[in-house]
Amino acid sequence: MIGSLRPVGLIARREFVARVRGRAFLLSTVAVLVLLGVYAAVVATIASSEDTARVGVVGPATALTGPIQRAAPTEGLMVAVVMQPDVAAGEAAVRAGDLDALVSGEPTRPRVYVESEPEADLERTLVDATSSLARDAYLTGQGVDPGALDAAVGESGPVVIAAEPPDPQAGVRLGLGLGGAFLLFFSIQTYGAMVAQGVVEEKASRVVEIVLSSVRPWQLLLGKVLGLGGVGLLQLVVLGGAGLAVAAVAGVLTAGAGLVSTIVSVVVWYLLGFALYATVFAAAGSLVSRQEDTQSVLSPITVTVLLGFVVGFNLLTSDPRGTAITVISLLPPFSPLFMPARVALGVAPVGQVVLAFALTLAFTAVVLALGGKIYANSVLRTGARVSLREALGRART
Amino acid sequence: MLEIDGISKRFGSTVALDGMTFTVRPGELYGFVGANGAGKTTTMRIALGVLAADAGEVRLEGRALDAASRRRIGYMPEERGLYPRMAVGTQLRYLAELRGRSAADAREAADRWTERLGIADRRGDEVQRLSLGNQQRVQLAAALVAEPEVLVLDEPFSGLDPMAVDVMGEVLRERCDAGAPVVFSSHQLELVERLCDRVGIVRAGRLVAEGTVDDLRSASATELVVAAPHAPEGWAEVLPGVAATRSAESGLVLTLADGSEETITAVLDAARRTGPVHEFRRRRPALAEIYRDTVADRSAGVAA
Repeated sequence: MIGSLRPVGLIARREFVARVRGRAFLLSTVAVLVLLGVYAAVVATIASSEDTARVGVVGPATALTGPIQRAAPTEGLMVAVVMQPDVAAGEAAVRAGDLDALVSGEPTRPRVYVESEPEADLERTLVDATSSLARDAYLTGQGVDPGALDAAVGESGPVVIAAEPPDPQAGVRLGLGLGGAFLLFFSIQTYGAMVAQGVVEEKASRVVEIVLSSVRPWQLLLGKVLGLGGVGLLQLVVLGGAGLAVAAVAGVLTAGAGLVSTIVSVVVWYLLGFALYATVFAAAGSLVSRQEDTQSVLSPITVTVLLGFVVGFNLLTSDPRGTAITVISLLPPFSPLFMPARVALGVAPVGQVVLAFALTLAFTAVVLALGGKIYANSVLRTGARVSLREALGRART
Repeated sequence: MLEIDGISKRFGSTVALDGMTFTVRPGELYGFVGANGAGKTTTMRIALGVLAADAGEVRLEGRALDAASRRRIGYMPEERGLYPRMAVGTQLRYLAELRGRSAADAREAADRWTERLGIADRRGDEVQRLSLGNQQRVQLAAALVAEPEVLVLDEPFSGLDPMAVDVMGEVLRERCDAGAPVVFSSHQLELVERLCDRVGIVRAGRLVAEGTVDDLRSASATELVVAAPHAPEGWAEVLPGVAATRSAESGLVLTLADGSEETITAVLDAARRTGPVHEFRRRRPALAEIYRDTVADRSAGVAA
């Protein structure tokens, strides 16, 4: 057994070194890192742009300063109230974009000057402020202390007891899950296609005949899958690590949000998923003899994976506990893409994970047997594309 | 000793090999000749385990070949192939290691063979950057780099320049002298005739003739070349024992029905009676002629 594994190791090493030194690996890694950086930058910009609304007050409307500041938090708005010397200066500041709105005139019926239209939450804040000012004035006129009323009202309200309190880390978990699903999809598509290209390259250059006079087809196939799987894993670790580092620096990520279990499940599912898809890709690649024909045998596979990924990804963001995504994540070809995401989201019962793992393992075993047979039967046949029926015929001994 | 024993192979309804049998002894250079499609490549691919036989067995030193013993065979496939984007030296070391050599042995052998074949200065270059002739040399190095105990080479001389042909011939002879069974196929029959200890002629998936070139010669009809300038037209046709005549080479070529001393003496006497005889010799047919006759005979036999 040791003797038959040495060639596998040699083949895996050749594939690994050839790819890691190749330009494609470097370019694709850098490209994804850049994409990741741009994404982080966009998210950061969106987050910082909705921080604080700046409201200018002038004249009698200055009385609204307190009510605005008290009303803003209930509308989920951060607000800075700035005194303006006069209406003209305030309106100029609005036009210059330094202020979001200028409030002037009668406090209970103020004039609000904005660039085009007020933000909805700012408008609600102003409505709250004016109505509370009007209410306080009315109550004072009726001999009621508005402060005492506020205190009495403030103590009222329901006490909510949740059977399942919402996870404060839900956002982080969703991010981890979706990120993991995306990386798995990306790695499997990229490196699976590389396995197929490698198989076709060996067939097209005919070197496969020399190699197969030294080693068995299963050794060549296994070495190839291990070598390229290793490259994919390396890239997964680099990209995943970079993603986590970005998240940690941005302060989004905190330890303990299922981080370790997510990383472990992404890696484990990657290994299983890659073995599954790489075998399918290799078998498909072995059917053709020219690089130009590769795409025609790969597209049915890549399109299936892509469709599954898009559907699953949407379900994952909209309804991670739904029946549809549960079923998809239990179907072997898609389990490797979505089970880790559901694990990260904390919505996958242990029983389902175990079931999906067992199903995928069984499915992979079948794929390995069939794919290995197709590969062994077709890898030495040059010329016309080999039909699946021929490829599944008698295996060579 | 490499034994090909009763190998049969069909591709669909086409019979590629039909009981192919021959033996290559240690230290023997065996030439494998036949038309395109006669089954030479299929035989070699089966010997290397690249193709499975429907029936029959290939044995090395009396034991059926398996994955381990196949690694001791140096192989040059008809369809040349190397990794185009891999450097020459790295590629040769890799192929040697795949055949079970240690990393150190592989490095040493790759250096030695690239030196010997005159491509040492191209070790660091990708194979696809080499000229076709140099790629052929790398291909030969690939067959030799694992220090094989047996060589099976499919058309090793095709595409080689005359210098490389000489080097290839030397290398094959050298491996033979070191005790390796060497078998190669070729359409260049004068090369086969010059190099090989024994020759096998294959037709339609079977070996139809086998032996040393001399054996094959003596099995074919005896021919005499007679130059008798004053002899009248048609003097030889009427002689007893002469099956056919034709004008060729420096005189008349007589094909004898039997090669006995009496017949030859009778022909000589008849020639002398016509006047001076400038030339009288037994003709040594080239392998190419023997090959043509053998293959033609069989075709006639099949047609009848």
